[in-house]
Amino acid sequence: MTRPGEEASVTSDFVRSYVITGGRTLPAPDDLALHTLVTLAPERTPPLGAGPEVMAIWELCAGGYLSVAEVAGHVGLPVGVARLLLTDLSEQGHLLRRAEPPRAQNVDRATLEKVLHGLQSLIG
Amino acid sequence: MTSLTRDPLLWILLVVLVAAVVAVMRARRTNMALRRTRKDLEAGLGEARGDVGQLHTHIAGLTAQHQRDLADVRADAEAATKAVLKSAMGTLQSLAEEQQVLLDGLLKKYGDTTDVLADLMTVDHTGSQFGRRAKGISVLCGGWLGRREGAATVYDVARSAQGRIRDFDRVGVHSQVNVSLIGKAVEPVAVVLAELLDNATTYSAPGTPVEVNIQTVPTGVCFIVDDAGLGMDQETKDRAAALLAVDGPVDITGLGDPPRFGFAVCGMLAARYGFAVSVGSVSPYGGVRAVIRVPESLLAAEVPAPAAPQDAEGTEAAPQRLAPVPVVGPSHVVGTTSGGLPKRRRRNGPVTVVPALDTAGRQETSEPASEVTASRIGAFARGTQLGRTTNTTEGPDNK
Repeated sequence: MTRPGEEASVTSDFVRSYVITGGRTLPAPDDLALHTLVTLAPERTPPLGAGPEVMAIWELCAGGYLSVAEVAGHVGLPVGVARLLLTDLSEQGHLLRRAEPPRAQNVDRATLEKVLHGLQSLIG
Repeated sequence: MTSLTRDPLLWILLVVLVAAVVAVMRARRTNMALRRTRKDLEAGLGEARGDVGQLHTHIAGLTAQHQRDLADVRADAEAATKAVLKSAMGTLQSLAEEQQVLLDGLLKKYGDTTDVLADLMTVDHTGSQFGRRAKGISVLCGGWLGRREGAATVYDVARSAQGRIRDFDRVGVHSQVNVSLIGKAVEPVAVVLAELLDNATTYSAPGTPVEVNIQTVPTGVCFIVDDAGLGMDQETKDRAAALLAVDGPVDITGLGDPPRFGFAVCGMLAARYGFAVSVGSVSPYGGVRAVIRVPESLLAAEVPAPAAPQDAEGTEAAPQRLAPVPVVGPSHVVGTTSGGLPKRRRRNGPVTVVPALDTAGRQETSEPASEVTASRIGAFARGTQLGRTTNTTEGPDNK
């Protein structure tokens, strides 16, 4: 009955994402945008009964600021799902958030040249 | 003498005598004929009885033959049906799996579009239930489930099973155990647990909880499913016990209409992979308690890393972080002045910390002055570049 090779390999994600969210409504993206930076607040202990995904996010965020998109990418979850878990952590006060740095203003060429010349004379 | 002959009485007597003799003779003949007939009839009856006996044995033989033929035909038909179903279900199984893989991609692709993501999740949920059904029927027809590479924690097995039933949000998984099942056992246990959860949610009131508790026992690990339903009557218990104890092909046509595959699938998989399923004890909530006991031989020796995707990407994918801006804070306090004020170390690194993109060594302040200057200019350049683009670049920078 057991012929080797008969069993096809199964590669789809084992735990489906709606189970990870527990079927809850996903948060709107405006609160934690893709490029919002998050990190763990100092001296926090992981919430009791945290699932493996939350623990993975916890470990990722412990090392410094990461964007929401990066967190999702590294734990291998859809952004919306990662955002829900991050929102949970944030509501429990575990996360520090930082909006993305503002875009640099375009500076005219003359100013840049002046800076360049200044720097050249500095390094000399 | 003449007087005698003329006596009418004598004549009458004579006539009577003759008549009597004739009557006796006739009676005797009739009697003999009757005796003969009776003998004939008796012989005929015996013969007929013998014939009937023979016929009875013949009929018994024919009936037995008929039963055997019928059983053979049934077995043949069942085998043929199973073969057809198995192959058809195999196709459905691989389609379902294909769809799940496709959905994995779509879920990631549209991960930031909340509405689409939520809709895709409902599709995924339906697909998972569909996949479970196809797998169940396939197993009963002697087919296979498909094999997962690598072990999975019991917690993940339980959550995977949870995802394969309709009312998954009523199920709570509680595991204090950090044990994994070997790849071979992952799918079968998940399918069996899903069937038990399906029973538990179907035969208990909507809204009541269904609990999965995972515990280690000396001989392995147990998945305990408790529901708050009405429990099972004796007939159902007997039927369940019979189906769970089955060790061989299951008569799929005898599972009712609509067919109730659940226990048959459980019994089949348990026998095939060597774990035990029992149903019938009473849960703390008054419903049914079902238990899967997985023996030690199906447990993995080592626990896989909790975040598998991280491992898959390898070491080069270490998250490239923006370090927290080194604002003056407690970390820079190196002592206290005599006046009680905090004494801070002079900062000698760059204020804005920009991730070094090309070299691992960053902020080396003991380098020669020119290199320091060069690195600062480099940092400035990278800083302006980073400021212009967004800082949401994904993946490692392969410079």
